[in-house]
Amino acid sequence: MSPEQAAGFRRLAWTTGGLVAALGPHLLRLKPWVSGFVLAACAWRLLAELRGWRLPPPLLRGMIAGTVTAGVFLSYSTITGLDGGTALLALMSALKLLEARNARDQTVLIFIGWFLCLASFLYAQDVRTAAWVLPTVWLLAAALLVVSRRGDDGPPLRPFRTTGAMLLKGAPIALILFSFFPRLAGGFWGAPSSERAVTGLTEEMSPGDISDLTLNDVVAFRVRFEGALPLRRDRYWRGLVFSQFDGYTWSRGDVQAFYREPTTRLDTPIDYTVTLEPTGQHMLFALDMVDRWTPGIARQSWDFSLRAAKPVNAVLRYEARSFPRYRAGEQITAGLRNLNLRLPPGRNPRTLELAGILRASARSDAEYIQAVLDLFRRQAFYYTLSPPGLARDSVDDFLFNTRRGFCGHFASAFTTLMRAAGIPARVVGGYQGGDWNPVGGYLIVRQSHAHAWSEVWLPGRGWSRVDPTAAVAPDRIERGIEASVAGSELLERGLMSDSEFAWQARMLWDNLNAEWNDWVVRFDRATQDEILSGLGFKEPGWAAFATALATGLALAVTLLALWLAYEFRPRRADPVVAAYRRFIRSLARKGIETGTGEAPRDFAKRVRRLRPDLSLPALAITETYLRLRYLPHPAAEDLRLLRNLVARFRP
Amino acid sequence: MTLRSGRIYILPTSLGSAFGLMLFAMLLGSLNYGNNLGLALTFFLSALGVVAMHACHRNLEALVARAMDADPPFAGHEALFHIAVANPGRVPRCDLEAVATGAPESTVSVAAGSESSFTLRVPTRRRGSIVLERVEIATRFPYGLFRAWAVLHPGTHCLVYPQPARDAPPPPQEPGAAGGGAARRGEDDFAGLKDYHPGDPPRHIAWKAYARAGELLVKEFSGEAEVTPVFSLDDAPGSDLEARLSVLARWVLDAHARGLAFGLRLPGEDIAPEPGDAQRRRCLGALARFDAPEPDVA
Repeated sequence: MSPEQAAGFRRLAWTTGGLVAALGPHLLRLKPWVSGFVLAACAWRLLAELRGWRLPPPLLRGMIAGTVTAGVFLSYSTITGLDGGTALLALMSALKLLEARNARDQTVLIFIGWFLCLASFLYAQDVRTAAWVLPTVWLLAAALLVVSRRGDDGPPLRPFRTTGAMLLKGAPIALILFSFFPRLAGGFWGAPSSERAVTGLTEEMSPGDISDLTLNDVVAFRVRFEGALPLRRDRYWRGLVFSQFDGYTWSRGDVQAFYREPTTRLDTPIDYTVTLEPTGQHMLFALDMVDRWTPGIARQSWDFSLRAAKPVNAVLRYEARSFPRYRAGEQITAGLRNLNLRLPPGRNPRTLELAGILRASARSDAEYIQAVLDLFRRQAFYYTLSPPGLARDSVDDFLFNTRRGFCGHFASAFTTLMRAAGIPARVVGGYQGGDWNPVGGYLIVRQSHAHAWSEVWLPGRGWSRVDPTAAVAPDRIERGIEASVAGSELLERGLMSDSEFAWQARMLWDNLNAEWNDWVVRFDRATQDEILSGLGFKEPGWAAFATALATGLALAVTLLALWLAYEFRPRRADPVVAAYRRFIRSLARKGIETGTGEAPRDFAKRVRRLRPDLSLPALAITETYLRLRYLPHPAAEDLRLLRNLVARFRP
Repeated sequence: MTLRSGRIYILPTSLGSAFGLMLFAMLLGSLNYGNNLGLALTFFLSALGVVAMHACHRNLEALVARAMDADPPFAGHEALFHIAVANPGRVPRCDLEAVATGAPESTVSVAAGSESSFTLRVPTRRRGSIVLERVEIATRFPYGLFRAWAVLHPGTHCLVYPQPARDAPPPPQEPGAAGGGAARRGEDDFAGLKDYHPGDPPRHIAWKAYARAGELLVKEFSGEAEVTPVFSLDDAPGSDLEARLSVLARWVLDAHARGLAFGLRLPGEDIAPEPGDAQRRRCLGALARFDAPEPDVA
């Protein structure tokens, strides 16, 4: 390979490397044929460069372009939108690569790479993505440096280092822009639609849904409390209420308009701030019974759950105040009562029969509730993470056959038994508990904390929470899931608690994520206003933004200029040469200048001719200088001598 | 001449403008989607652009550029203008370009504290001279997003020799107007040794004497067979002045190649016969200057 070919291959390898890194976060998300095609194109192009193969002719490229566009349309049913657009961008980068011959083509590829980085952020803004994208952006910039170079680009890692230094110099400018560039309240052309499947609670609950979530260690939300951490048994995070049952699946139902009954607050409130990860759902989570929340962020529904107007597609932070002791809905309307008594006709007949028997032998509703809970507790019901699947009449199957279930099964069976006995009841879905992170001082609520419980309406007491799971597995509520199921089952599912060190590391990592959410992902107009008023701006408006931005940028650019001036400062001359130059300059001021290429001794001779009075010191200076320059081991005192001679030399 | 910041201009290249457009698109997208990391990416790259602009400007600053003598070409060949560029700083200066009208750009990199030189290859069309009037010292380093440049006006003159005629008749044989007292040196009889001077024909070097004494000596011959030619414009055939000058150039080259002494006679200029490179230069220079047209400007 000739040196030019080697340089050409190196450029292509940098560009392709950058592109593959930018594609990295997308590869698993894209349809397999898209990822496969793009990777194959990258590999083929590099091989073609090495082996000198011909690139595909325009006609063939055009055909490939048409085919893959049609392919995207078929697999994604659109070529716009985030998924389709990303797929198209990835495919177009592969096609561009197939025709990339010169620097211009390669810069286009690098630009596409940066757009792919932006697309990664549209999918996820977490620490992991950022930690991948930052080096990728760096790599792409280094590739741009390599592609734009005329001469030799030096050792292999030099472009990476040079670019790293440039990015570092630009960091203050980027920071100022990030801090003071005013954020918009809404978008220009509408918010992005939710296309991704987020794990978590949904608007429906079938048997087994929640136990699937226990596999999932992903954070649902984090909570910072103003005061003390509430007791674990009070940590019921209401998400949504399921009022409708079809015999197998509980759903929220299509009933929208109900009068929300007043609540009576008892005891002392708990104030806290929730940072909710994107859910793609309307529900917000709050402790029972929420009383106050960040205005405008949500409405409280008739079932006391909080619902946002738009699906939560970005990290959302809100404040809330809840009363753990409350009385809610002492008056119930007939419509609401009927709704919460409705059971699907002809389904779960054995359960209805059982309810009849139990209710007949109980003297009051309260006694009946106790009897049902006792049933769960005394008979052979098991709390398990891997319950068996249930038949169409899920409650019958659970109560009389499998008897093994997770919280959802118990809540569903309990609620059905209540309704069958004429007690208004419903299933509440949400989270229960949470892990305390001592590093950051906040509570982590994970998907694995997902929980379902029941609410029954009793005259004079209103809606009261009954958690049938607590009857079977009281530890689930008091100490968390690890304490409530057998160790082997946890081990099987990878939920066994780690060593102390690993636990601390996980808490640190989670704290990093929380801070990241607070300072980067959730950095919004409110945070900016806070910073601006912290800087002494009376009323944060456009003028304040402009002033802060301009001042900050001026400072950052000055810092950059100083940094560069320091880096580019002239070399300090050799002291010997510097002393001799002073001598030359002092003569030049008197009109005796050295000729081009005139040797020091010749110059000294000329000085003697022109100024005989200076002959002796000039000669001494010249000889000392020559000794210092040309002797293999010049004497140190000669330098002192030279400096002295020059200092005393006054032409 | 030292390149100073006040004299260094800078503008984005087309690639830089495309980069700006890309950033703008990224900004709009990130703002619309309320995506803070997208914004961070946009600002990070914008900052890189700002740093690249400063670095590009700095890449030229404080360089010392000096126009050097040019090698005179024959008409139709390229005049080579050399521009020395010294880097007094601690940072290497990469991908410096020198651009002059009509010449392909010349690219060099200068290591910290060192010196290098551009070679501008300016094509010539006709005899006479060519002046390097304006040179841009430019750079797109790093990233090629910006182009910084400074303008030099070196004013370096470069003679352009007449193109030697391809099929010239041999010069007239009779000594004719040759100077009467001219030494007649030929290759027939060995006449003695003399000190070597650059330009003496290498085949006359007394290698045996060199092996003995380590001194370069040249054998001198005396002979009647060859006379010392003095080429005159009047003797040169040709339809016009340029054609005749071309013939003269050919004669001068041939005589020089044979190691002869030769002279040149032009109206108003008389060059006494001598052998060697200096004489060749002198004669060709006289031919280039004779009744020369206005210099071409590069």
